[in-house]
Amino acid sequence: MRTFSLLLVLLISPLATAQEAAPVNATALVKAAIEYWRDVSSMAVFEMNIHRPDWQRSMTMKVWTRGNKESLVRVLAPAKDAGNGTLLLDNDMWSYNPKINRVIKIPSSMMNQSWMGSDFSNNDLAKADDLIDQYRHTLLATETHNGHKLYVIEAVPNETAPVVWGREVVKIRDDHILIEHAFYDQSNVLVKQLATTEVKMMGGKMVASRERMQRIDKPDEWTDIVTREAQFGLKLPASTFTLANLRNPRN
Amino acid sequence: MPSESASERRLASSGEASPAPLLVTLAWRNLWRHTRRTLVMLFALLLGVWSMIVMAALVRGSMEQHIRKEILNLTAHVQIHSPAYRDDPAVEHRFAAPSSLADALTQTPITAASARVRVPAVVSSEYESAGVMLVGIDPQRERGLSFIDKAVKLGRDLESAGDPGLVLGRKLAERLETGLGRRVVLMSQGVDNQISDRGFRVVGVFDADPQAMETGYVFIGLEIAQQLLGMGNEVSEIAVMTDDRNHLDALVERLRATAPGLDVAPWTDVQPLLVLMEKVNNVVLLVWFAVVFAAMAFGLINTLLMAVFERTREFGLFQALGMPPRFILGQVLAESLILLVLALILGNVVAWASVAGLKGGIDLSMFAEGLQLVGISPVIFPTLATGDVLIANVVVIVLGVLASLYPAWRASRYVPVEALTRT
Repeated sequence: MRTFSLLLVLLISPLATAQEAAPVNATALVKAAIEYWRDVSSMAVFEMNIHRPDWQRSMTMKVWTRGNKESLVRVLAPAKDAGNGTLLLDNDMWSYNPKINRVIKIPSSMMNQSWMGSDFSNNDLAKADDLIDQYRHTLLATETHNGHKLYVIEAVPNETAPVVWGREVVKIRDDHILIEHAFYDQSNVLVKQLATTEVKMMGGKMVASRERMQRIDKPDEWTDIVTREAQFGLKLPASTFTLANLRNPRN
Repeated sequence: MPSESASERRLASSGEASPAPLLVTLAWRNLWRHTRRTLVMLFALLLGVWSMIVMAALVRGSMEQHIRKEILNLTAHVQIHSPAYRDDPAVEHRFAAPSSLADALTQTPITAASARVRVPAVVSSEYESAGVMLVGIDPQRERGLSFIDKAVKLGRDLESAGDPGLVLGRKLAERLETGLGRRVVLMSQGVDNQISDRGFRVVGVFDADPQAMETGYVFIGLEIAQQLLGMGNEVSEIAVMTDDRNHLDALVERLRATAPGLDVAPWTDVQPLLVLMEKVNNVVLLVWFAVVFAAMAFGLINTLLMAVFERTREFGLFQALGMPPRFILGQVLAESLILLVLALILGNVVAWASVAGLKGGIDLSMFAEGLQLVGISPVIFPTLATGDVLIANVVVIVLGVLASLYPAWRASRYVPVEALTRT
């Protein structure tokens, strides 16, 4: 969900930038960033480009989100993948393939596998919100980024958190846009990184419109996510986020 | 042979006296008329007997080791499950142990019993994930019940059912690129059909044989597993160890009566392959006995026929002097019997000595990889089984005597005049 939300909802808050609270609460910063990019609800069209040394492919998808727990993704193009869908309700995930006309619940054994062949795992999508309550956050440094203040926050998972990483480092701009998210293993080696390369005004707020997920040990493999259009704060019916809607689209 | 002709005269005159001592004496002396031939035959028989017994000891030894290992590899002697669990070891098929069962599990012949949570799960590190069997154990009660209490080679054992740590196999740790002191995530299906997951710190790394145990199982505390999956006090299985794995029927019956509605299965049901292997081994041994015996029998018949043939005139003379054909038959049979008994005594002694000499085990570790594939451990400790030794001896003596019937019968069928005049 992190990714969807990232590409959808990274917001600007003109008011917040002006205020300089003396002690910065790292957890609050992370929480604010996540709530910001999730918004109340959203609908967006984005393009996913998967790059490999010997091939490349591009998909266009539409995504709906509501609150922190509900998301639905549907593939629009290319034609051969059109209609494929993924529904996320909290930590559970279902996938629908029109060719076999089946909804498949993604079992726990597959949660670590790649989502639609990209560099994102199913878990990357399903567990984005864990960043708030399963980690301890510390503010490491403050930098500047395109005239904005950039908070460098280290997030260390709790002992029993279902997180494999040793630590994660997120860079959050003072307008709540997540600029970088780095995943370190337990020997403190950087494993993969999500970086925002373009921030744009979209659907009435600033959005991280171009992001790249890359594994450090495979420099010529990456997945780019480019947001084409986005709308926020829509009234989405509860029926959007149901298995029935996953199977038989009504919108 | 002056002494022999003297005996015959005595035989002819004494009439009623039992001929047995005489026949045995005759047979014994005839044997040593051709010392070298007899020794060669004796050696061949001895080799056959030795190979039968030692082969049996090797097969039994490796089978016994294999069964013991499998029983320690989380099989135990008796397992208690919910009825559908063995077909589908999922979290749905759990049960709460009835209180009557707890008492039954402390009675003889049960030496150890422990409840486990055993469900499929996924363990992941930063780099890899692997499908495993998640086993929640009570380490104290697991003692003497499975290999795990002695298998941890790095780090520490789980200390209690509430131990928050995780113990995994060396090979799995390598595969996941993780290790002692690092965290991994376990994911499984909880009772509410939702994904249950939790991070665990690796507190111990165990070695196991076969290696599939190292890659296939991770151990956590029983209570932690129950919490993780939302099972409350329920468990997946109860494993029971007794003092004798071969006589479980009474115990199984009793447990079934105590816990109606639960599936109580002895190890022979849980691991039918082991029982099958044992049966196959029995057949292999029998075939081996038959082959060795066939080779021995041809040698024996051949030698006896030779001996009979070169003594044609002698047998003619015996008959001419009044020895009944059945005595001649008896004489040749006695000859073969003495040979067989000598060979058996020596063969048993040599076989026993070589098995005793190999007590330290036969190290086949240079073929370890190939052997592992078929489930044989690299060091074989030969075990003498009374049954096998008995069968080998009975086979040799009974079939040996039967085989010598033909040369003996030939010897007894000579017509005295023809035999005497043969040059």
